Amino acid sequence: MPANRYCIKLGGESGQGINTLGILLSKAIKSIGYNIFSYREYPSLIKGGVASYQIDLASKYIASSSKSCHILVILDPEAVHEYLHSLNANGILLYDDKQVVFTQEEQDWIKQNNVHTIYLDSQTIAINAGGSPIMSNIVMTSFLWKLLGFNPEDLTNIVKEIFASKGDDVINKNILCLNAGYNASEFKNEYLQNTLIPEQLKQENSSKILTGNDAIALGAISAGVRAYYGYPMTPATTIFKYLGNTYKETGILIKQAESEITAVQMALGSMAMGTRALTATSGGGFDLMQETISCAGITETPLVIVLAQRIGAGTGVPTWTGSSDIHTAVKSGHGEFPKTVLCVSDVQSGYILIQQAFNIAEIYQIPVIVLTEKQIAESLFTVETLPQPLQIQRGTYDGESRYTITNTGISPRWIPSFDKKPYLNTSDEHNQNSQSTENAEEIKAMSDKRMQKHATLLSNLPEPTLYGDPNVPTVLVGCGSTKNPVIDAINEGMNIAYLHYEYIFPTKTQALMNLVSSGKRIIFVENNQTGELGKILTEASGYQFKEKVLKYDGRPLFLEDILNIQI
Amino acid sequence: MAIDINEYNSKLKPTWCPGCGNFLIHMSLKKALSELNITPSQTYIAFDIGCNGNGADKINTYAFKGLHGRAIPLSAGLHLANRKFTVIADLGDGACFHEGLDHLIHAIRSNYDITIIIHNNQNFALTTGQATLTTDEEKPMYGLPDSKPERTLEPSEIILSANPSLYARGYSGDMQQMTELIKAGIQNKGCSVIEIMQLCPTYNEECTPQWFMQRIHKIEDTNRTLEEARKVGTITDESINTGIIYRNTQLKTFYELLENRKDTQTELVDEVKQYDVQKLFDQFK
Repeated sequence: MPANRYCIKLGGESGQGINTLGILLSKAIKSIGYNIFSYREYPSLIKGGVASYQIDLASKYIASSSKSCHILVILDPEAVHEYLHSLNANGILLYDDKQVVFTQEEQDWIKQNNVHTIYLDSQTIAINAGGSPIMSNIVMTSFLWKLLGFNPEDLTNIVKEIFASKGDDVINKNILCLNAGYNASEFKNEYLQNTLIPEQLKQENSSKILTGNDAIALGAISAGVRAYYGYPMTPATTIFKYLGNTYKETGILIKQAESEITAVQMALGSMAMGTRALTATSGGGFDLMQETISCAGITETPLVIVLAQRIGAGTGVPTWTGSSDIHTAVKSGHGEFPKTVLCVSDVQSGYILIQQAFNIAEIYQIPVIVLTEKQIAESLFTVETLPQPLQIQRGTYDGESRYTITNTGISPRWIPSFDKKPYLNTSDEHNQNSQSTENAEEIKAMSDKRMQKHATLLSNLPEPTLYGDPNVPTVLVGCGSTKNPVIDAINEGMNIAYLHYEYIFPTKTQALMNLVSSGKRIIFVENNQTGELGKILTEASGYQFKEKVLKYDGRPLFLEDILNIQI
Repeated sequence: MAIDINEYNSKLKPTWCPGCGNFLIHMSLKKALSELNITPSQTYIAFDIGCNGNGADKINTYAFKGLHGRAIPLSAGLHLANRKFTVIADLGDGACFHEGLDHLIHAIRSNYDITIIIHNNQNFALTTGQATLTTDEEKPMYGLPDSKPERTLEPSEIILSANPSLYARGYSGDMQQMTELIKAGIQNKGCSVIEIMQLCPTYNEECTPQWFMQRIHKIEDTNRTLEEARKVGTITDESINTGIIYRNTQLKTFYELLENRKDTQTELVDEVKQYDVQKLFDQFK
């Protein structure tokens, strides 16, 4: 069991406000000086089914979820059966529904694992305190707060802040319920969790909590993105939500298109005209965009697409995580043309890589795909500040012909303007003057010119980053969200190093091959079934991974999944 | 003073079949631009794939020859980024009513300020004569020796169902009228749909210039309700009305309805620069 963190899980019916309660609790815990990482599990429906919200807290930065929790708060009788077994031994189960009936197996399990069960009649407490039945959630939260050994004032402050827009009456009733929950007679000192909870930071905590998608949206704004074209699809949709809800401040044009094909075509058109436009989608929507990626490739039009991954083919498991679209991104679009695939892992990389994506797309005049995953897109990270933004680079320069053959492969591209020479971008194979061609020499020359950009770009990309002590014998390799539990495991004292890929295509292999030739034990870790990044690395380096840890059940790589790797 | 029409010519000569309606449609488009004094560098044309799209490198303006069926959303993206440009989507009946029908409906209801020119030659000609929804129901077509089993649909019904800002129909044999209709489309503030009944001597040889001349009837540009426009727009065995069929000057454009762009004088292309996100970041707690 991880030593340097504490884990709380809320379980209830989907649509019961679990997410709101989770965010409230995340903010409250963060406000008293902890770093938190919050993770949601929820079904793809609006009402019914069970959902959970898990908060891991630590004194240091963490970015992964634990597999098991110290305390489980159940707000719906069905949820208890789903989540009971995620409790640690000696953990606490807090529930508020008389209808909770434990099976014989569950009763035995509770006994064997020495789990304390606490029943709190939160609804009666709420009503007696002068609140409404729905405020039972606040009663449960404040009772939980007391179990954690925290000061009620801190929770009160956050409740005031969160309900500020609802008026004094709602705030006052919530506070009455909060106090009633905190002082409930069911509390016993033996339940107190403070010995298990890491020490909080002493200094003032100015950190923020935001999701990976918030970071991508902020990075896009910073990079001068002026239009967002989208079509709803989990887990990409919250980028649309953030950019839409801030559009008055930013002036960004927002368009909900009739399909992903429309969204990406509008983005392509706006980029061709010379602004910066973004679209984001998930697997199925990305498939629809692939013809346009190919079109951007041959017309040499900059294009940036965020591909927020969820697990599975077809509709798959829409609200669960995984990284099973890496291969799709790298191989996307028919025909042969250069492209770039970048891979986000957290808030910092989301903020920076989306900026980098626009620079690369414009300088090299290619499509760029920015990968993220549900586990990054919708989870809350704690951050102090954002990194320094990248300088905007557009790579435009005037010339005689749009597709002039050059040593770098990069032709002149100028932003359409009334005082400049007009040109044709064409998806027909063409010569340097944009004229359609079927001439063998011209076809080969233009294909070579385009592919030269791949070589130019590869030479300018960084090698993957090595984290941890380079002298240890075992190195894990991965990309995306893999980084987070692995770094957290290193911080827990696990004797490993980690090679992390942010730029996955075109693919740098020198750092990897240096590790291989120095005799390190290399273990490949991915949140998919077939080791998709591994296949890309093998294709680029010839190196075959002998050891792979692959997880593809819709759950993220938990910290325990890494700690349990035999080294 | 109109701009010299040669300014719009590229170095290449058109490659269409002798007698193809595209020659005069292409010429009318150039003529319309020249008469409106819109220079090659003020024009951006999105060409679809099809015989019409083979005109892309035969005209000297900013242009983008993209994917089949997608000229309309591409145009919308071009237009929204810089509304100073005259943006035209140029596509055939296959692209418009088959591959990209959703785009036509949504562009009209979004009311982007673009002009859509539909080359309606009643078939997929570049792939050598497959049926479209405008192909005659009785007519044997490529791979369909007993004709298509699907019904024919009336483009005017589809277009008018979405309440367009402007809908006009021309005929590829009448350059003067086509030029006037394209000019009206460009000048109209909103989504203008110009459907051109196009001669296709190779795959629609029954519909000769004489066939069209017997049926074409020019109508006046007057105020019509949608219901009146539907009647005027319906093609019968005896008559095909050409001219401006419908206008709705009351409609606001998509861009005009964007609350956050109301007081902005610049275009999206003018606004690409680094933005300080500190204030937005500070709103996170």
